[in-house]
Formats: sequence, structure tokens, C-alpha cells
Amino acid sequence: MKREKKSFLIFRKNSDLQTVSVVTFFFVVAVLIYQIIAGFSTKGGLAYPSFIYPSNILNIFIQVAAVGIMAMGMATVMLSGGIDLSVGMMVSLVAIFIAKAVMHWGMSPAMSVVLALLITVSLELIMGFIIAWLNVEPFIITLGGMIACRGIALLIARSQEIAMEQNLAWFKTNVFDWFNSDGVKLFGFKLQLPYYVLLFVLIAVGTWAMLKYTRFGRRIYAVGNNPQAAYLSGINVRLTKLLAYGFNGLLVGIGGTIALVRQNTGIITVGQNMEIDVIAAVVIGGVAMSGGKGNAMSAFIGALLMGAITNAMTLMRIQFEWQYLVKGLIIIVAVSGGALSERLSNRKAVRSQEDPSCKIDSQS
Amino acid sequence: MAEAIFRLNCISKTFPGVKALSRIDFDLYPGEVHCICGENGAGKSTLIKILSGAYQPDPGGSVEFEGKRMVLTPRLALELGIQTIYQEFNVFPDLSVTENIFAGLEIVGRGMVVNRAEMRKKAQDALSYLRCRFSPDALVGELSSGEKKLVEIAKAIVFQRKIVVLDEPTASFSVSEIEMLLDVVKKVAASGIAVAYISHHLDEVFRLADRITILRDGMKILTACAGEIDEQTLVRNMVGRDVSAFYSRQLFPQGKPAIEARHLCGNGVSDIGFTAYRGQILGFAGMVGSGRSELMTLLMGGAKRTSGEILIDGKPVDFRDPWDAIRRKMCYITEDRQNTGLFLKHTIARNSIIANLVNRRSPFIHPREYYAVGQHYIEELRTKATGANAVVATLSGGNQQKVVLAKWFHTDGDIFIFDEPTRGIDVGAKQEIYQIMINLLKQDKCILMVSSDMPEIVSMSDRVIIMKEGRIAGALERAEISEENILQLSIGGSSI
Repeated sequence: MKREKKSFLIFRKNSDLQTVSVVTFFFVVAVLIYQIIAGFSTKGGLAYPSFIYPSNILNIFIQVAAVGIMAMGMATVMLSGGIDLSVGMMVSLVAIFIAKAVMHWGMSPAMSVVLALLITVSLELIMGFIIAWLNVEPFIITLGGMIACRGIALLIARSQEIAMEQNLAWFKTNVFDWFNSDGVKLFGFKLQLPYYVLLFVLIAVGTWAMLKYTRFGRRIYAVGNNPQAAYLSGINVRLTKLLAYGFNGLLVGIGGTIALVRQNTGIITVGQNMEIDVIAAVVIGGVAMSGGKGNAMSAFIGALLMGAITNAMTLMRIQFEWQYLVKGLIIIVAVSGGALSERLSNRKAVRSQEDPSCKIDSQS
Repeated sequence: MAEAIFRLNCISKTFPGVKALSRIDFDLYPGEVHCICGENGAGKSTLIKILSGAYQPDPGGSVEFEGKRMVLTPRLALELGIQTIYQEFNVFPDLSVTENIFAGLEIVGRGMVVNRAEMRKKAQDALSYLRCRFSPDALVGELSSGEKKLVEIAKAIVFQRKIVVLDEPTASFSVSEIEMLLDVVKKVAASGIAVAYISHHLDEVFRLADRITILRDGMKILTACAGEIDEQTLVRNMVGRDVSAFYSRQLFPQGKPAIEARHLCGNGVSDIGFTAYRGQILGFAGMVGSGRSELMTLLMGGAKRTSGEILIDGKPVDFRDPWDAIRRKMCYITEDRQNTGLFLKHTIARNSIIANLVNRRSPFIHPREYYAVGQHYIEELRTKATGANAVVATLSGGNQQKVVLAKWFHTDGDIFIFDEPTRGIDVGAKQEIYQIMINLLKQDKCILMVSSDMPEIVSMSDRVIIMKEGRIAGALERAEISEENILQLSIGGSSI
């Protein structure tokens, strides 16, 4: 019995990487070609491509942080076999709640953030409880949650927007200020790395480790892949699902706070359609909608990739109408391509170990 | 008698590795009830599927309908007038009786409008011919299970089918419903339709049959008119295998009682009492649907116990969930490893540690650890796989079963429930699984084994409990265990 070959970095199996790696490769090639052509045409020589300026790379992290944090929660929920459509509106709720609490009710920013997290966790726990104990379709319950959250948020805001006065500026503190109060420069650009980007990276690593190295993580995968077998293997299926939603609630709360930090205004549009971006990031990362397959690290890369694509298209001055089209096509091509290549490799694996008895299984 | 309406000549059906039917001759005459008898796995279902066109027989034999050779497909079979009524219900519960009967075959009048009045009248005629007491407008979901079956049979009358195939129609019926169904089947036959009837219940067979065909291990043993054969002869012909089909195993002295049940009820079984000892295998025989797996789920805490008690090592236990049972060292190797035993998309390593999570103190677990566990059991059970990182879905049936065993061995259990331990597994792997079971006994473990494989239950069990309709129909000690005794108890009308 020979040990299986370990492939690139954290990915033990190739299939974990398939979707992400294909998209990344074509994306990088496309951007480089474009940048070189653009460089020649404008300056008549090879220019340093603006997309891979260190400052732009950090920009991508900044733009992606909120969606990325929520993608970690969504990955956990989807691995346990569920889905959560309510996250976008919950972000709006968080943003409006914090803005209202700080600006109109005179609460301290720290207090209001903690309260906002409590609200999202309890809302997710309520939905998780209904989904796990009453065994209802998560799609429907969270759809209802999404609409209800929208209502609560609009009621709190009285359908108005609430501007803030940099009350949450702490989250934007530049990490590089630690080294030098004037900031660190690279290639003539000042580097910006706010605390919340650091938080994003920490949460991503933490979620990845939780799913991979803890008993709870193993239970999430088992419940998502085969709830019946999980139950008979002594796993509390309902509790595991409930905790997955609770964890998601915590991350949605954090993601919502960061979205507010970036926009500085509590308004219903903060989180509008965000659930689509979050689910897209997770799906591009190869997490199966049917549950039990995928990992947090590739969802992390999926989130960065979606951010990078948006960023690159903006740098290339592609109209936003076209951007939607391209992003949509990328999701469709990436996920169906990933499924196709996985089927091919599975077929190969089955063929190499085939014996008559498994054919009977498939027929009976 | 008139000309046979349907005839199978020398039909065989081979699945990779298994010959399900071999050189079967079978015929049906208009107006007769032809019963097909045989143990689980004798080939009855395969025969039905050939009748209905779902399976194509191997080349060599021929299928004749009204004297003409045919290649049947499910669609063609229906067009010719062969109606197959499977064991499971195929009804639309939210539609009315009339709509169910005409589903997909609506009578369309002029202008593409469905002719409701005409359909209702035809349904009403069929129902009154069969003396059914429900209205054609009733919702099928509100009918009893017996009446649902009648709706499916009424289709045959409405569309004037020529052949009706009934597969185990009375499974899970009450006594009065069985009476009702038997009357209806007689009426169907009286209207000139040929009926092929499969049942485990010998009393039904003798009340209905004009002719009886007995299958065993894919071969036809005999076809006889009902009057020429009695229950004893029937049972003797259903069993009676070669000695080579049995195994001899090492026996161990009876240890301490490991698990006992007293007047246990719940999950569709009632008044179950038994004692299983360490170092022995207690077999559970009976027909499919006799409540054996339901009993095992109940023992494991997977269903609610309504009364009675379970004792482990002499002390009463109350399992609310399977994890309670696993903590008390119970292991449940389920009958359906793909749906209730394994996580098919996951690796061998991940599958191997999953049940033992219950006993783990530390919340952390490193992939290296479960890789090592997976690797250990691959070597111990001699699983054929490229390594502990192989995905379980890519393994063969026998090797998948070994992964299920690894999952439970890792919990360090004492009481093992094996539900159909060798279903869908080839002969070589079977022997290995048996050897693994014997090794467990050597370690003073206790095994409860549910099996429909007659040679398996006869050769492996120290004692056998026979179940019938959710109750214990009898128990046999080692010396009394024989195919004939088991079958007599599990299907016979009267106990011996």
C-alpha cells in the first residue's frame, strides 16, 4: 500500500483544486496578456502591469474582506448540507442597526457591534433550529429569513439612510503603521492594510483549521455527506446543523460590520445581493451544493478570485454591464468544468479498482 | 386448456458475477392465477422484471406473446396489455381515484379536452365489478394501503389488460385487507385475465393458485397444479441445496449474556424476547419485511421503544439515540452500506474514525491520526485499496463492507449487529467477512446477525430466531437449524 502523493500545499487530493486552479490559470494569463498589450499601446514599451502592483493586491483583499469572511460561514453551512440566502439582508440589518445605535441611540461603537453580533447569531440559530428540528428545506426558511431581515432593517432605519462619522475607524487602522508611523512604501506606493483584512485572514485560517482538525469539523462533513449514516454513527445531526448556522451567524455579523466600515453609511443597499457573491465564491471554491465536499481554503481562494476578477475588469475599464456577464459565465464554466473533470477522474479511479460485485450493487 | 397467452422458453439472466436466472420456462394461460414461490434471492424479482420488459434476458431463450416472438420493453409490455403491480405503491396520493387510474392515459374528447364524465364512468364500472366500496372521486392518499392496491388493479380492468403481475401485494396488509385483495384477484382472473402472483404467504398461495411454480437459486424446480402439491412438498422444494453451499465454522462455548430483550415493542415489532451470549452468533431469519431490521434499529436506539426492556450485561439500558448505544459498545453494520453505512464521497480514513467520535474526549483531531487509523484497518482487514486516502465510492462492494467494519472496530465495541453482512459481495470476500466474524467471537464478542441468505444463516448461527410480521415466530437451537425448519416457520401457515 503506497502512500498517496501529496500535491500542492494544503491540497491532498487534486479534485479539491480543480475548479479553482483552472479559473485562476486562465484569469492570470488573460490579465497579463491584456496588461502587456495595453502597456505597449500606451507607453510604447513593456510596462509593469498595474494589476500585480503590491498595492493593488492589497486592494483586492480590502475589497473582498466582508464577502470573504461570510464565505467562510457559508462554506461551513454548505458543507453541512444547508444553504443560507439570508446573509445579504442580515448584513444590511447589521449595518443599519450599528449606525442607528451609534448615531441616534447614543450607544458606544463597541457595544453596538457586540449587540449586532448577538442579533445575527440568534437569528441564525432560530433559522437553524427550524431547519434541523423540523427538517424543513433550508432554501425556503432562509429565503423567508432574508425577506424578514429586510423588513426589520427598514423598520429600524425608517426607510432612511444613516450616515456615520468615522465612528468605526479603528477597524481601518493600518497594520503597517506599527512599523513606521508614516507608512511603508513599495514601488513608490503607500501600502494600506487595515485591521479588518488581518481579521479576514485570521478567520479564514481559523475556519479552515476548525473544519479540518476538530471533531466538530469531521461531524460537519459527515452530516453533509450522508445524514442517515451520520445519525447511525452516533452523530447528533440536528445539533451539528444548528451549530453550523450559529457559526455562520457570527461571521455574518463580523462581515456586516466590515461592510459598514467600508461604506460608512447604514443603508439597506449595503448587503443587497451580497448572498449571491458569497455563494458564488464558495461554489467557485469547489464546495458542493449537495454538502460534504470541499474545503474552507478553496472557498477562501474562490472569494479572492472573484474579487480579483472584478478588480481586474475595473482596471481594464470594462463596463459594469459586461462585468456581470463575464462573472456569470465564469461561475457557470468553472463549476461545470470542475464537475466534468471530476467525473472523468472518478471514472478512471473506479475502472482501476473495479470488480464484479460493485456492478451488481449498481444494478439492484 | 386454451392457448398460452405468454410463454418464456429457456430464459437466462446474468449479472456480472451472478447468474440470477438460468434456463427458465414459464407460461401463463388466460383466466388462471399462476403463483411463483421461492426464497429471498431465488430469482422471483428478476423474473417479474423480464415479464414487464424492465430487464432483457440473455440471448438464447425466447419470449412469446400470443404465439409471436417478442423483444419486450416496458412500453411495449404495457401496450400489449401486461400490467405489473410492484410491491411499492405507484400512486399519486393527491389525485383522485379516477385521475390515478387514467394518469397519463386520459380519454381526450374533441378539442383536446379531457372527458371527465367518461373517465369517471369507466372507473366506477371497474370499481363496482371488483366490489370496491370507495368512490372514484376519493383522494387516493386517504385510502388504506389495501385500497390503494385495488386502485392499481382497477387499471387492469379499465384498460382490459391481458396479464396482471402482482409482486407481494399483501405485504403490510391487515387480515381483512388480505381477504378483500384475494377476492379481487379471483374476480380479475374470472374476467379472463392471466394473473402472475408472487407471495411469501403459503396460505394465500394455496387459496388462489391454479398452478404453482417454484424457483430456487435462479432455477425452476417445478411447475404443478395446485391440487397436486401440499405445503410440505412446496417447502421441501424451495430449500434442499447442495451441501457445498454451506460452510463449517469453529464453535465456541457459550459466554455470559451480552444483550437481552424482554417483551420489547416499538418501531413495528412487538413482544420480542431473546438473549444473546458472548462468543456466539444469534441469527435472525425471516422474509424481507418481517421486521428484523426494524428490531435492530430499535435495539440501537434509532427508533422509539414503546414498552419492554433491553438489558446489556444484565443491566437495563435506555438508549435515546444511536450515540448512547455506541457508548455502551454496540455496533450496527447496516444492511444498506451505501445509504446508511458509508460516506461515499469521503476517504477510507475519514470513514474509519467517524463512529468513534462519540468516545473521543479531545475536540481536536489531526488528519495524520485518522490516516493512521484507516491504514491500520486496511492492513488488518486486508482491504484492497490504493491507501487510506482512497475515496470509498471507488471501492468494490466487499471492500466497502470492510470500511464499514473498520468504522465499528475502531469504536472497540462488544456487541455487533450485522444486518445482511454479505449482500452484494462476491464469494471470496464473503469468506473473508465470515472469518472476521469468527475472529470477533474468539475475542468474546457477541454477534446478532440478520440475514436473508439461507446458507449463511444456517452455517453461521449458533441459534436462530425466526421473525414473521414483526413478531418472533420461533427459535431454533444449533441442532435444529435447517433450511426447512427456518422456512417452515417464516412462511408456513401454522407453526410446527
